[in-house]
Amino acid sequence: MVDLSVELGPLKLKNPVLTASGTFGYGLEFEPFFDLGSLGGIVSKGLSPRPRHGNPPQRIAETPAGMLNTIGLQNVGVDAFLSEKLPKLEHYDMAVLANVFGETEAEYVEVCKKLDGAPGLAGIELNVSCPNVECGGIAFGNDPRALASVTAACRKATGLPLLVKLSPNVTDIRETARAAEDAGADALSLVNTFVGMAIDVEARRPVLNRVSGGLSGPAIRPLAVHMTWQTYNAVKIPLMGMGGITCARDALEFILAGASAVQVGTSNFVTPTSAADLVNELRDYLEQHGFESVRELVGSLQVES
Amino acid sequence: MLDLTTSVIRNLDLGHGNYLIEFGVPDSIQQMKPAQFFMIGTPGSEPLLRRPYSVCGLNGTFPDNQRGTAQVLYKVYGKGTRLLSGLGKGAELQVLGPLGNGFDLPDTGRRALLVAGGIGSAPFPLFIRHLAEAGHPAPRMIYGARSQGDLPLLSWFRDSCEEVLLTTDDGSAGEAGRVTQPLERLLEQGEGERLHLYVCGPDPMLKAVARLASRFDVPCDLALEAPMACGFGVCLGCVVPVHGDDGEVRFERVCVDGPVMPAQRMAW
Repeated sequence: MVDLSVELGPLKLKNPVLTASGTFGYGLEFEPFFDLGSLGGIVSKGLSPRPRHGNPPQRIAETPAGMLNTIGLQNVGVDAFLSEKLPKLEHYDMAVLANVFGETEAEYVEVCKKLDGAPGLAGIELNVSCPNVECGGIAFGNDPRALASVTAACRKATGLPLLVKLSPNVTDIRETARAAEDAGADALSLVNTFVGMAIDVEARRPVLNRVSGGLSGPAIRPLAVHMTWQTYNAVKIPLMGMGGITCARDALEFILAGASAVQVGTSNFVTPTSAADLVNELRDYLEQHGFESVRELVGSLQVES
Repeated sequence: MLDLTTSVIRNLDLGHGNYLIEFGVPDSIQQMKPAQFFMIGTPGSEPLLRRPYSVCGLNGTFPDNQRGTAQVLYKVYGKGTRLLSGLGKGAELQVLGPLGNGFDLPDTGRRALLVAGGIGSAPFPLFIRHLAEAGHPAPRMIYGARSQGDLPLLSWFRDSCEEVLLTTDDGSAGEAGRVTQPLERLLEQGEGERLHLYVCGPDPMLKAVARLASRFDVPCDLALEAPMACGFGVCLGCVVPVHGDDGEVRFERVCVDGPVMPAQRMAW
């Protein structure tokens, strides 16, 4: 029997497969499809201090091997998550991570404090791709100083394992990765969506109501694997890799490039059982290739020098 | 809700880009309500996302159906529908369903009036069967489209409805103009008191019919369509603005809160 368990600093997972924030609701929506307890964990929809209605439609557009979205961080708010969603997940043997965002540092801290110590919560993932209204709307994650500041503030606000989800919309992801590491992050998630745009040439209008949106799906996988490899060679803290993962072979690319765990995102929309299927496929791969533990593979990429 | 791997039984070319595809489904799917839908994926990695298709028929909807099948009416419009139209007997389909809420029967004392715009007629064959099975009289239908080729299953509807009033933008079939013209005349004759409108078609048509329904105070259910990635409530891509019970406007998901919504709830 192969060992699928992994540790990302203080976060212990029975297997390295999680579901990405924004693609898995609050987990409960997938109960009709498979036993959530078969996963290593799930990451909630991004939570803000108060509920948010999100952006007006059109919110999504399909693009080659991917999709753009501008949902606008619609969510039930942290209070409803704690009272209505989290208690229903407690009986599953897997890690529930809360994804957190705010428009100011104080909002991030407010949400982290409310989540701290919540029964059944295994950790917090900061979504730093949200515009920082106090700094002219530049996303926290695009500015190493703002990123370090918000990470340090959240670090003080919670004793839970703290992950920072890096934005790929930067010149060099190693800079923001190091900033998050130095500010006290336990692990990094990478990557969030790439900013993209699609145009309806008949109407001569943007397809999305908000003009631009976040690109996800297999189209971004090579970019995300590259950034995982770059980051693995730049920081000491463990990584959680994501970007267009649909099957075990995709997940293994991230693991070989240095990710200790992976998140399945857009694929959950297409094949609701994707993440659960991936756990089984990964076990088969390890057995067929004679590995005892998935940990042997993390960052084991052989590069000719 | 099932995620089925099934296969095409036949894929009838109805002309002018309209098709009726038939595939095998288990018995539980036969309980689907009209205007509920499937997310259907075709083999291969492109397009990435499945597409939503209203259920059109089940056992007994069309006289020549095989048992244990479902039918979907679609028009070739983009990449997904073009791929679907190329599939022949035996081709594999990935079918998720039943999804969404579906049409309810009209209240006692009211009769269904179906209003369809082009391929928006897709949910009505199953609805007509449901009405008949519940002992309701055959409904009337107002069927509009751009041109005469855009009225799929017209002869079936003529056989199955008490009356079908046609409108086309170019006047090639029925009255020249929009479905709202005959509808407004009916409502002005005072028929609204005995009607319940069931509407499916493009958004501008839905809005125009909803305005008439509101003016004449007629119950009106709209079967909506929206781009969606998942079909089961998680992607939040398919929202529409609606008036909540508290009077506040909020976004609801076409996939799980709809696709059928009462016209008066829409906050267009």
